[in-house]
Amino acid sequence: MPPPAGADASAASTSGPDASESPSESLDAVRSQSHAPPETSESLWLRRSVILSFWAVVALLGLPVWWKTTAIYRADLPLPYMTDWADGKICKPVFPLRIAVEAPLALQDAQHLIHTTQHALDDLNEFSAHHLRLMLSDLPAPANASQQVVRDEGPTSDEDTALSIRLIPVETGPTPRSHLQPYSPTLDVYYAANQIPPPSSTGSPLATFIAHELHKIFAEEQALLAYLLSTTSGAHTAKMQSLSPETTAELERQSTRAFKYAPTYHLTFSLFTPSSMPSAWDIESALQQYLSPLLESFAAISNFTVDSQVQLYAGFSPSVREPEYDEALKAWTLRKEDLSGFINAAEWPLSPSIGIGPTVNFVLYVPSESQSPLLVKESGANSWLVPQWGGVLILNPVSMAGQNGSIPTILTKDALSPAMHTFSDQLISLLGLPQTPASLPLRLSTLKRVRAASLLFSASSTLGALARLTRALPSIPIPDTVAKSVDLTTAHLQQACDHLRDGRFQGALEHARIAEAEAEKAFFERSMVGQVYFPDEHKVAVYLPLLGPVAVPLVMAAIKELKSGLSAIRRR
Amino acid sequence: MLPTFKLLLPLLLATCAWSEHTSNWAVLVSTSRFWFNYRHLANVLSLYRTVKRLGIPDSQIILMLPDDMACNPRNAFPGTVYNNADRALDLYGDNIEVDYRGYEVTVENFIRLMTDRVGEDMPRSKRLLTDDRSNILVYMTGHGGNEFLKFQDAEEISAFDLADAFEQMWEKKRYHEILFMIDTCQANTMYSKFYSPNILATGSSEIDQSSYSHHADNDVGVAVIDRYTYYNLEFLEEQVREPTSKLTMGDLFDSYDEEKIHSHPGVRYDLFSGGEAEARSRLVMDFFGNVQNVEVESGTRKNETAWQAELAAIERMILEAQRRHNESLATRPHQEHIVEEAKAVETMQALRREGAMRVDEESGWKNQMVGAAALLGCAGMWAAGSWFEKRGIMIGCKAE
Repeated sequence: MPPPAGADASAASTSGPDASESPSESLDAVRSQSHAPPETSESLWLRRSVILSFWAVVALLGLPVWWKTTAIYRADLPLPYMTDWADGKICKPVFPLRIAVEAPLALQDAQHLIHTTQHALDDLNEFSAHHLRLMLSDLPAPANASQQVVRDEGPTSDEDTALSIRLIPVETGPTPRSHLQPYSPTLDVYYAANQIPPPSSTGSPLATFIAHELHKIFAEEQALLAYLLSTTSGAHTAKMQSLSPETTAELERQSTRAFKYAPTYHLTFSLFTPSSMPSAWDIESALQQYLSPLLESFAAISNFTVDSQVQLYAGFSPSVREPEYDEALKAWTLRKEDLSGFINAAEWPLSPSIGIGPTVNFVLYVPSESQSPLLVKESGANSWLVPQWGGVLILNPVSMAGQNGSIPTILTKDALSPAMHTFSDQLISLLGLPQTPASLPLRLSTLKRVRAASLLFSASSTLGALARLTRALPSIPIPDTVAKSVDLTTAHLQQACDHLRDGRFQGALEHARIAEAEAEKAFFERSMVGQVYFPDEHKVAVYLPLLGPVAVPLVMAAIKELKSGLSAIRRR
Repeated sequence: MLPTFKLLLPLLLATCAWSEHTSNWAVLVSTSRFWFNYRHLANVLSLYRTVKRLGIPDSQIILMLPDDMACNPRNAFPGTVYNNADRALDLYGDNIEVDYRGYEVTVENFIRLMTDRVGEDMPRSKRLLTDDRSNILVYMTGHGGNEFLKFQDAEEISAFDLADAFEQMWEKKRYHEILFMIDTCQANTMYSKFYSPNILATGSSEIDQSSYSHHADNDVGVAVIDRYTYYNLEFLEEQVREPTSKLTMGDLFDSYDEEKIHSHPGVRYDLFSGGEAEARSRLVMDFFGNVQNVEVESGTRKNETAWQAELAAIERMILEAQRRHNESLATRPHQEHIVEEAKAVETMQALRREGAMRVDEESGWKNQMVGAAALLGCAGMWAAGSWFEKRGIMIGCKAE
């Protein structure tokens, strides 16, 4: 058995300089003897299995690990369901209003009256989503109840009753006539005894009268809701026909003016003066007296936090035109178009970074003695409202300090009362409270319904936006918290919708509020961001230095082995 | 009387439809640090001063400055930043509110700002609290290239990212109209990928074109302002003198002189609803100012008796509210229960979220560990394989 050629050659080459042969001869010797003997099949298979095992590691371990670690986690979202919410396919909000009728009549007569009134009402109503349902009050009024007795009983305390109608028989004065109580949701209807419709008749002037009154009371609410439905979802546009362009424009103006709904608003009352006077104001007791009842009546809808500040030596911004003296008015005047620059935003500390909610600013400006009285040129007004920002009132020293016109050091509560009145008017319109009807509780409950509906729409549209983004941007991660928030949102939306359908508006508002908060949380989830776009060059630049050195020997070995394998097969 | 009213009405309606936005916001971003990029910070500070002069309050300006030139040791005029060699106007002044500073200016923070995906602890002054009635001015300057803008020499924002951020804003109704302005090399490529409506975009230079600085101040030692910004400011400072200005965006775009700017500024109109004509008719003040439409209340509306009656009504309302308050005490527990439930849900969510975040981090580490282990494993296998191969050959040798 000849010795292995390799061993021999190596022995020859390692003989080094001591060897007698010249280098070229030894090379020749290597060349001549370097014909490798055929590899044993054992070592061949060993090499092949080594290469295969490397590839197996790459394919079975490396690739899955790479795939797992670079995959973007996307929680399952019910996308079609979310889109359906946004399109208004799942919830069509309806507003059934319960109206309790207290009638000092026999049960049968009362029911007949309600029946005919309901008929007349349904004929008047053009807006199907909003309808009034009359029902007899729970406490059956005694047939001979006098006016006084009825009044003492007061309105029913049931929260879900939108309005109660009290029928009061009178002998004097024109009948039927009605009176809406300004501070309770009660409509008093005075009628003569002969106006009760006999059971045989199908209509009566009293029933028609009540129906018309009710329709009038809820006209603005219907317009508001119809406007809301038409602007927020495409599905309801058909119902807009009933609104005239003037009404639409007015509603548009109102919605531009009012703040978006927030569970908490922050009110800032600021006193600005260009001089050192007045340096104090009795704001706390003024707010206590003039504003807190109003804020309290809003408690079911929003909460408020209040702060106040005094800023002395507050000058106008340099780019605004200085007031001019008007001889005819005997006053300093500001032009209406300059009013938008009246607030010196750069220097007056009207920062919104207090609290969590949006800030409503109320600015009381006391002009210096040399520039008072200060009025708006065109209308002679001293106050104006800035939509979605707040209100401004110029308090002229003349009107508060009598003849001498000097500015007092302290503004008393009485001096502040006109300002507070203006501010409360402005607050009411900034919060979007409707103008009619004359009864404050009714307007508040209207606002409750409008807010519940608008929250419902805004949460639904956020869901839709999230669904569209999820589809459009496949590279953003979606954590499980988003899926949970979406589930919560849809659950609360469903409940809000059910509450609306049952006429429980407070509950609907609560649920819609939670749904809105959850939807916002889902959309603004913190981890759903990141650099989503990587150019291909970047990927190459990351992977090549990492994988190149590993991949080259692997691939080369595989190719070599495949080649030799193929040639062996061909040879056979 | 009636006909005139009817004539007036469409006019009134037209004015209502015309000015739909109720607030103005500005996002002013410089993306480069280091002393030789002095001009980029001066660009941004100049624009900051202009929009502030035109009425946008500090609370509605988000200013991102990646470096502090005023306090740079190389600054020969400490505490100041100038945008002109005449050094007439100190931009740094004493009334400047920087929202994002130094290493806070990153691509991630910028996208977070635009999409409002920020943590709960982020102060309101550092957030873009816009809604569907807000006009936003987005101004960016720095070093850029084809479809990217470098942030801090460390990372870059691509035109795609920016377009997606704007799309997310549009989906969430976070703007009414946007004016996007960018001063960088090949700036026009940055807005080429936008696809969301109501964006008016303008940039300083075309693809494969550089944007140049305007002039250097020899005492400061570096260029102090870029050309495109310089000529924009020239228009804004000289022509738009006061908030009542009626100049339009078209006037601004027409004022661009390619001879002076040394590059070809571009404007993109097609995303704007109404197209070029509508976009050009927008007032400069719709984006650079803060136009608040005021509603003046009629001056002589209340006489003394009406006023007294109102006061009495308020008085009665107090009583009513107190009465209702007392009455509602009985029903209050139920309401509070609802609120508590909501709060419980909220806290539960918060807890859960925190947990999820932690898991995220852990899994990040785990991923890295797994990756490292896999690499080590591969290397080990390799070593073992080569060792076996050697052994195999040697075994083969011995066997023979």
